[in-house]
Amino acid sequence: MADKRTVALDLATPGMDAEGRPIRVPIGVAEGPGPEPDFSSERLLLNVGPQHPATHGVLRLVVELDGEVVTRVVPHIGYLHSGFEKLGEYRHYNQIIPLTDRTDYLAPMANNVALAMAAEQLMGIEVTERCQVLRVIACELSRIISHLVWLGTTAVDIGAFTPFLWTFQEREKVYDLQEAWTGARLTTSVARVGGMMADLPDGFEPKLREFCQAFPGVLDEVDRLLTRNGIWIARLQGIGIMTGEEAINYGLSGPMLRASGVPYDVRKDRPYLDYETYDFEVPIGEHGDVYDRYLVRMEEMRQSVRILEQALDRLPDGALNVDDPRVILPPKSTAMSDMEAMIFHFKQVMEGVPAPVGEVYTAIENGKGELGYYFVSDGTAKPVRWRIRPPSFLNIAALPKMAEGHLFADLIAINASVDIVMGEIDR
Amino acid sequence: MAIRVVVVKRPEREISYLRAALKGMAMTFRHLLQKKFTMQYPEQRSTDDWSLSPRWRGTHRMLTDEQGRAKCVACGLCPQICPANCIKLVPGEDEVGHRYPLIYEIDEFRCVFCGYCQEVCPEEAIHVGVHYENAEYERERFVYDLERLCAQTHPVSTLWDPSDPKGE
Repeated sequence: MADKRTVALDLATPGMDAEGRPIRVPIGVAEGPGPEPDFSSERLLLNVGPQHPATHGVLRLVVELDGEVVTRVVPHIGYLHSGFEKLGEYRHYNQIIPLTDRTDYLAPMANNVALAMAAEQLMGIEVTERCQVLRVIACELSRIISHLVWLGTTAVDIGAFTPFLWTFQEREKVYDLQEAWTGARLTTSVARVGGMMADLPDGFEPKLREFCQAFPGVLDEVDRLLTRNGIWIARLQGIGIMTGEEAINYGLSGPMLRASGVPYDVRKDRPYLDYETYDFEVPIGEHGDVYDRYLVRMEEMRQSVRILEQALDRLPDGALNVDDPRVILPPKSTAMSDMEAMIFHFKQVMEGVPAPVGEVYTAIENGKGELGYYFVSDGTAKPVRWRIRPPSFLNIAALPKMAEGHLFADLIAINASVDIVMGEIDR
Repeated sequence: MAIRVVVVKRPEREISYLRAALKGMAMTFRHLLQKKFTMQYPEQRSTDDWSLSPRWRGTHRMLTDEQGRAKCVACGLCPQICPANCIKLVPGEDEVGHRYPLIYEIDEFRCVFCGYCQEVCPEEAIHVGVHYENAEYERERFVYDLERLCAQTHPVSTLWDPSDPKGE
């Protein structure tokens, strides 16, 4: 290894000397950037992304390769930074909801619900029974579409194109449901503090039941295509192994953690929205490799369908929003005819809903893992500080550990198995 | 409460890639015979199964009264609630004391189509509408002024509308 290099710095000037060369003025001597890099081992540095279809967004991976074996991976994030958390400090709690559509944009309804739940916990609001069931439906639909995108794109990464078309077709059906309910396919903004934006439209329940009946059939088809397929097994089994202990130490959550055999599910461990009364099972894996993550997510979608059916069965009548004019806007017809309701309406829009001084952390089980919202309030209608605990941000941190020593093609499979969404990693 | 877990089982036997490929091919060809899921946009705007939801939150529209004036009373709620700060409102007052908007502009580029403006409007004046094709050749054309908002003819979203109690 050579010692530190010294480099003479000089500056070219516009003047010429007698021989027509530009005159250079010495400006000093600086130390060079340390020892010369050792190129003898023939390591190759390779940039994957930020614009690469296999990185699932604008993720940039700097990969050090020895031949075709990955010796080091450094994920570079921040290309999709939007400053949601700073923007939220200047907005009322209800105004933050459109921002949460855009964090995990593959499961927007669950994000809306999580934010509303955190704000409600801060304000001490109990939502109605019907609202809770509607929120369960929103969360489970989000989990299904999030896993469907994962399944389709992962299959494309491995080399199977057909499941991508079939899963995206099913996802379109869920988007149609979201559109009928909220008036938007992706930017749903479905929740409000103390209730929901709107009740289910006419004809929603039969359509959702139809989906619940047909959807497992499509899963079975994908299952028949992939699960026992020799190529699929050869590409995924024994790749990117995380033991249960490692998974906990890295702070993983969601299917990543459960595939390593740790039965941690926020819906069961810290139940919210009455999840303890629903009958469903938590799938866990035994090996902690990419294949187990695939199996766990497939099973989770089936369990989500079970939860959806139970939610539809128990869907109670009654009020959707809490009966508190300080929190929920009065209905339009009342606000336009009743003086008092009009006053509440103006007061709430102009001043927002003040939250008591304090801080709160609320977590839900999103498709990708434990999605947490943390608020600090100083007693005004806007949070002093707001932070998201994005599950894929913590999951991607385990990528260097998982990919080390595998082939480069396996890195793509491992990266796909993490199920990242850059919107919530970069926020 | 003990958590009921189900350990996902791996298949005992794998099938060779050749058989798997043939099986996959057979399934794919069976899908050819199924009902078509796509539609030929823009020739076709809706199918038997799908048409744009009446709750759709799209291009804005300002409703007018019988005399053709905008219903807006320039109360200032929509610029206040707008999370994207895309509404510009300058209120004015006529000789009998009625408030009206001197300037009312919506920047459709900044707008995130959350529909809060319609949700808070106490006069049912500003609406998001069931319409989504608003391409233009110039950026300036995306700032819709009052005249343009009033001239829109598409139906408005039924969200927060007294005619649809479930959406209210």
